Amino acid sequence: MTDNRLDLPQGTLDLLILKTLALGPQHGWAISERIQQISGDVLRVQQGSLYPALHRLERRGWIRAEWGASENNRRAKFYELTRIGQEQLEVEEGVWRKLTAAVAQVLETT
Amino acid sequence: MFSDLLFRLRALLRPKVVEAELDEELRLHFDLQVDKYVKSGLTREEAYRRARLVFGGLDQVKEQCRDARGLNLLEFLVQDVRYGLRMLRKSPVFTAVAVLTLAIGIGANTAIFSAVNALLLNPFRFPESHRIVYIEERHISGRNQGAGYRDFLDWRQQSTVFEEMAILPWTGSYTLTGQGEPQRIVGGRITCGFLQVLGIQPLVGRFFTADEDKPGAPLLTVLSYAAWQRRFGGSPDVLGRPLVLNSVPYTIIGVLPRGFALPGVQTCEFLAALRENPSNDRFQHQYNVLARLKPGASVERAQSEMTTIARRLEQEYPETNKGWGILVTPIRSAIARETKTPVLILFSAVILVLLLACANVAGLHLARASSRAKEMAIRASLGASRGRIVCQMLIESLLVAFGGGTLGLILAQWLMASLRSAAQEELALDAMMRLDPAIFLFTLVISVSTGILFGLAPALYGSRSDLNSVIKGDAGLWSRAPAHGRLRSCLVAGEVALALVLLVGAGLLVKDLTVVLSLQTGLRTEQVLTFALAPPSAKYSSPQRQAAFYLDLLERLRFTPGVDTAALVDTLPMTGGMTGGGFQIEGRPQAADWVDTLVQYNGSTPGFFRAMGIPILRGRDFDDRDGTASLPIAIINDTLARQFFPNEDPIGRRYRDDYDGKWRSIVGVVGSYKSQQPMKPPIPAVFRPLAQTGLGFEWITVRTGGHPERLAGSIRGIVRAIDPDVPILQLRTMRQVVSDSLSQSRLMTQYLAGFAAFALLLASIGIYGIVAYSVRQRLRELGIRAALGASYGSLLGLVLRNGAQLSVVGIAVGTPAALAISGLIGSVLYGISPRDITVFVGVPVILILAALGSSYLPARQAAKVDPMIALRCEL
Repeated sequence: MTDNRLDLPQGTLDLLILKTLALGPQHGWAISERIQQISGDVLRVQQGSLYPALHRLERRGWIRAEWGASENNRRAKFYELTRIGQEQLEVEEGVWRKLTAAVAQVLETT
Repeated sequence: MFSDLLFRLRALLRPKVVEAELDEELRLHFDLQVDKYVKSGLTREEAYRRARLVFGGLDQVKEQCRDARGLNLLEFLVQDVRYGLRMLRKSPVFTAVAVLTLAIGIGANTAIFSAVNALLLNPFRFPESHRIVYIEERHISGRNQGAGYRDFLDWRQQSTVFEEMAILPWTGSYTLTGQGEPQRIVGGRITCGFLQVLGIQPLVGRFFTADEDKPGAPLLTVLSYAAWQRRFGGSPDVLGRPLVLNSVPYTIIGVLPRGFALPGVQTCEFLAALRENPSNDRFQHQYNVLARLKPGASVERAQSEMTTIARRLEQEYPETNKGWGILVTPIRSAIARETKTPVLILFSAVILVLLLACANVAGLHLARASSRAKEMAIRASLGASRGRIVCQMLIESLLVAFGGGTLGLILAQWLMASLRSAAQEELALDAMMRLDPAIFLFTLVISVSTGILFGLAPALYGSRSDLNSVIKGDAGLWSRAPAHGRLRSCLVAGEVALALVLLVGAGLLVKDLTVVLSLQTGLRTEQVLTFALAPPSAKYSSPQRQAAFYLDLLERLRFTPGVDTAALVDTLPMTGGMTGGGFQIEGRPQAADWVDTLVQYNGSTPGFFRAMGIPILRGRDFDDRDGTASLPIAIINDTLARQFFPNEDPIGRRYRDDYDGKWRSIVGVVGSYKSQQPMKPPIPAVFRPLAQTGLGFEWITVRTGGHPERLAGSIRGIVRAIDPDVPILQLRTMRQVVSDSLSQSRLMTQYLAGFAAFALLLASIGIYGIVAYSVRQRLRELGIRAALGASYGSLLGLVLRNGAQLSVVGIAVGTPAALAISGLIGSVLYGISPRDITVFVGVPVILILAALGSSYLPARQAAKVDPMIALRCEL
């Protein structure tokens, strides 16, 4: 186990999931793998947070689930972005960018 | 929004499908993770182990997913109710005891509180009842009595503060004919203005007017609602039809409203006008008077005006009204005065029962908490939040409360029905008592909140604790148990104390009743049968015909096999009735006030003393030669002899009284007997031969050779043979008559005894519960003792002592409380002291025996403990 993992700030997991799903429908395990891969192993999503988050997003209607076949040919629940989810992603992305820019600016100037 | 609803509904309606899907999703994730590790070069086992570590608790993830789905509230509720019902079904003893305890606590409270409400708090449901007052005459000697008829007429005429004044129905029984078999029905004589005083209107028709009170006016009657329904089918054309009473037709002019009820009047089927007649004088204080104050007039003003009137009457009629004042009381206080003490006693008892029920429910929940600590800890470790566990417990308590409340409502209805039928005569509860929803809710809330409060204990214990040690099963037993057990021990000791107070109360009343019933009455009540007859007055209009009827009856009775003696008397001992007046001895001055020489007047035929077992101390009984032609004579009792002839022989002396003013020679002295109730001392009495005074309403007393009940059939036959139109009234043994004279205290005694038995049961259950619990907790310790050689007997003793200690603490707390409360009961005790030693010793003995009895089962379990148990960890 490497120690360069980071805990995700509150609320960012939803954003990452939505972003990941923007590339196409995925099942739970693939979502966590993708996030880990793209972040260069820095971000690891625990199942304990992933699945409750998926269920929460599904309830809000931002993503929807459909059963399909996984790569090892088992039944898997594939999540995909809904239209509302798409809009929400854009909003959240904007918020995130503004936030990080602001934080970065503060850090640089002081 | 819509997707949200669909999502929740699906999860709610198809929980199994949703759960299975979640399972499958998580399993896939796990397997893919394992595959990944295998691909990276780990062995299958290593990959598996690694995946588990990363994955964390599967059940926690699931629980969080359920939370995230956000359908908790509804889903949890349905699930918790289902689970709660299952848990309650799994512990039927707990459920049954808790539900029953609540049911009795709630039921008894609702019924008794409703009675208290009807009698003390809100007895008089008439419009503006605060304006209704009760008026009575009061003698300077302190006795309150009803009013004389002429006095009443003067009051009504002279007073100005009242809107209306009326005499309460003067009840009596009448023979009703013309409606099938002749029947005896109860009716009331009344003055006009009665309904105006109460502020109500007849339902149908009208009421008497002032003119119709006068002698010579046509005979009219107003029916009660019940009589209208039963005898005339509620027909509206009943007005103008006749009601034949004692062979005289009365014209029906109205019907009273439904639910009309006054103390002592609710059995009346009709009301008719009370007319002035020769016996309506100022001597007889027999009527109850009610009046309605004018709006704005105060009770004080009415009192001062009536006092002025009383002074005036004293001056005008000194021989009858001297010393008599008038007392004006608001009707509420007047009713409460009569019924206060018994109702207050029942009221206190029922509050104790409620406390006990609450303590018991609390104890039950605490016991359950300890046995469920492990379950709670396991649920917590599987991811249940504290809130969730609390919610679960809450629902279980509410389920128990709901069951208890429903059953309690049924019980309350039943108790009130029995109160109503048992206390109808004495307490006038019939139409007044309603199940009060506010009271039901009040008791429900009190007992339910106790349940909830203590029902939460398992949740708090379970979720607060160090999960590890609870699951392992030692810390919970050794470190926390004492504090927890102490609370329960206090509760149980408290229950014992409450039970002691109730048992002492019931014990005092029961003992008093038996003592009073066994008191010497001066009568030999065994083998005596009594009854009364009601020959219709129209058919037996002349005194001669009536006398002939009774003489014929006595003659036939005397020749009936098994009959020893039969005689008539006008006032049956122990029936509460009394006629009395002044008494003057020849050659001595008349007393300044006739009340100073008050004696009871009786009339009897020869053989009455023999039938009742009253000894003739001097002189003789009446015989058949005493009649209207011979000299007027009388017999006195020895109380009178001692009071008026302390050092002389009364035989041959003459006296006269207010009855007919004739001088009568005393021919005999008989033993005194108690004429009202067994605990009231005998009063001076004179007996006149009925042959010289004429007959009125008579009781027949029959002394038999064997069982008096066996004679009932032949008596009915004899009466029917003489005249089938004469109804027989109140055929009872004399023993029954004595017992009936105490019916009100007997009713209270029965209720209190019932409550006390319930209290004893609850306390025993409480003791059993705590002892069984401590045995379970100490099983390992007991095992060690057994292993070290403790004998069966010593282990048994150890546990029994535990139970006995609890009851001793309870007794120590309860005895002072019982002593304090016995003062309240003291006022209704006649035969024993409120500190009766047998009761105060007997009750603690009973409680200790009950404690030992209920500790016996757990004690036996403890004594039989297997020493090997000490070596095992798991219990």
